[in-house]
Amino acid sequence: MGKGFFALFKKDCRMLASGKFFLMAIGFLVLYTAYVNLGYIRFMQMPPYNVYLYDPIGTHTEKSSLVQIVSSMEDMDAALLSDANGVGLDASAGEVRVVLYKGAEHVDRHRADYALSLLEPSASPAPEVLGTNTPEQKARKEITCELLFFELAAVGFLGIAAVLFKEKGMGVIRVHAILPVQKDLFLLSKLAVFLLSDLAFAVLLTLLNVGLNDGAAVLPAVLLQTAILSLMMALVGLLCALLLKDFRQFTLAYLVIAIFAATPVFLSANTSIKFDWISYHPFYHVYMGLKNAYFGTDISPAYYAGAAGMIVLLFLVVRLAFHREIGKEG
Amino acid sequence: MKGLKYQLKSVLRDKFCLMTFLLPILVAVALNFMGSIDMSSLGELHFGVLENDLSPQTITWLERYGPVTAYRTQEELTAAINEPSTNVIGVKADGDSLKTAISGDELEIFRQAAATLPTLYERQENAEQTEVQVLDRPDILENFQDIFIPAVLIVAMFMGCTFNAMNIISEKEDGVAFVNEILPMTPCQYILQKVVVGFLFGSLSSIITACICFQLSWNHWGLMLALILLSSFVAALIGLFTGKLSEDLMIGVVYIKIIMLVFIAVPIVCALIGVSGLSAVLCNLVPSQPAFDGIMALSAGNTGAAIKDAGILSIHCVVWPAQYVLLFTQRKKQGGYSI
Repeated sequence: MGKGFFALFKKDCRMLASGKFFLMAIGFLVLYTAYVNLGYIRFMQMPPYNVYLYDPIGTHTEKSSLVQIVSSMEDMDAALLSDANGVGLDASAGEVRVVLYKGAEHVDRHRADYALSLLEPSASPAPEVLGTNTPEQKARKEITCELLFFELAAVGFLGIAAVLFKEKGMGVIRVHAILPVQKDLFLLSKLAVFLLSDLAFAVLLTLLNVGLNDGAAVLPAVLLQTAILSLMMALVGLLCALLLKDFRQFTLAYLVIAIFAATPVFLSANTSIKFDWISYHPFYHVYMGLKNAYFGTDISPAYYAGAAGMIVLLFLVVRLAFHREIGKEG
Repeated sequence: MKGLKYQLKSVLRDKFCLMTFLLPILVAVALNFMGSIDMSSLGELHFGVLENDLSPQTITWLERYGPVTAYRTQEELTAAINEPSTNVIGVKADGDSLKTAISGDELEIFRQAAATLPTLYERQENAEQTEVQVLDRPDILENFQDIFIPAVLIVAMFMGCTFNAMNIISEKEDGVAFVNEILPMTPCQYILQKVVVGFLFGSLSSIITACICFQLSWNHWGLMLALILLSSFVAALIGLFTGKLSEDLMIGVVYIKIIMLVFIAVPIVCALIGVSGLSAVLCNLVPSQPAFDGIMALSAGNTGAAIKDAGILSIHCVVWPAQYVLLFTQRKKQGGYSI
């Protein structure tokens, strides 16, 4: 049995290599790493609101260094027009008047009061810091988690399914019906190849983007979650390849669907927007498992039980479809 | 004309083409009828307090700036502050004043808000007496749905690229590309036939999507049509490039995925962070950026910016075919490259 499994495993590795599957994974790894290190980390900065003061009489001498002086009302208008989040303070008539462009109601109130507070800064105690991550660490973990999830659930999945479909087209599945090896080994070797390649991808993506020290600390938990997601997606890919006749037609549409299906999950999991129905979204729980692994948050045992149940169920369905497919041969 | 008929016949047989044609339209319908997603809370401050710690007046004052959630225990409050998806600022009573707690991984804007909150509390009376003039800004994004709709339209325009790329790759796989080589057809006729198919379907899908999503005046519709036609033409040409450069279906799908991600990501990132200067010029090298920018400008009633974007797209419409002719027809002359 061990020998048969090893032979199948070697054959699958060769097939993936010739199908440029590994090359594609490395390409996406380079693309994602460049995006995180050269783009995302730089974009994800949000400085405090700029405050512009027009004070021709010079009444405000104790103002904070964060206040920028403008020489005329025209300059202030121009500054606010180009920086709609900025706040203008007009002290030309003695009393200060706040000028700002309309945004969300609560935010506008805070912007106005914050700008006024900078005119007479006082030493309030610094906020107590309770967490361990810096803003950059958080941004790196968040985007790496999103990219890993997207790669496994959308891009990698398509690769898996395309390769399997090609094999089906070549009649390899039916050939297994007459081979003297246990039938389930075919499925297990496929799962093992994709699992190992996804785990290797997760290790590299995490270490390159989260950082060596931080990445190594979260790696065991991340690999466990990657294994869960990878097994699920590989099984779904196998199922699609076994059931659908013309899979290539489905590939690109799937990517578009995945983008639209993943958007609410990313919004709910990464921002303060929480949809009521999101707990019914199957991607949400898997994504939260991965995210909790990156941030070192405890994961409920119920989630593991559900994930294990889902993998077993998918395996049984795939096994049934596989036996039906090889049954056609004989 | 006869060649074009055959091209259309071959595309219509492909179920995938129908799927790509209908997909943006379905998403547009869903976005239009499911109602807008309230994204206004994204930039808001969120406060977490302990039950029975702050006076009702203080909580009312905090609610002026954002929603306040009360937690029963310190552990629950700490967990809410440390939750990575939110930027909750913990607020506790400190004698007559307040003290704040943050996770430390927040963006600078939230850190600064937490640091200045006690000062704002002490000076709340002064702040209430100050006159605040709030100006209307017509082109400010009210919610992120304004970004989603042009993004869907960009996907619809992009479909022309997919049509052409998949069509050419299928021809390569089926061996039709070799047959094309010996047909009495010039490279220009071939380009025209291929581009027209992707262009027609991409434009049609975009026009239907635009009709569902936008309520524009007749004047603006003319400009919108120009933007759609120009960008669909460029997308169809890019599809031609993709099809030519792809060795097989697998590579073609990878190219299409990368192009689609770039097409969607560049304009959305530009819209969210607001690039300017050299970066803005570089972003315009991606054809979806002027298209997206033009649609956003039109929906805000800014005709001038939309005309400028249509101009940029016109330049794309000249540069891409010229590149194609230079690259592929020259290669054909030199080494008998297959069309």
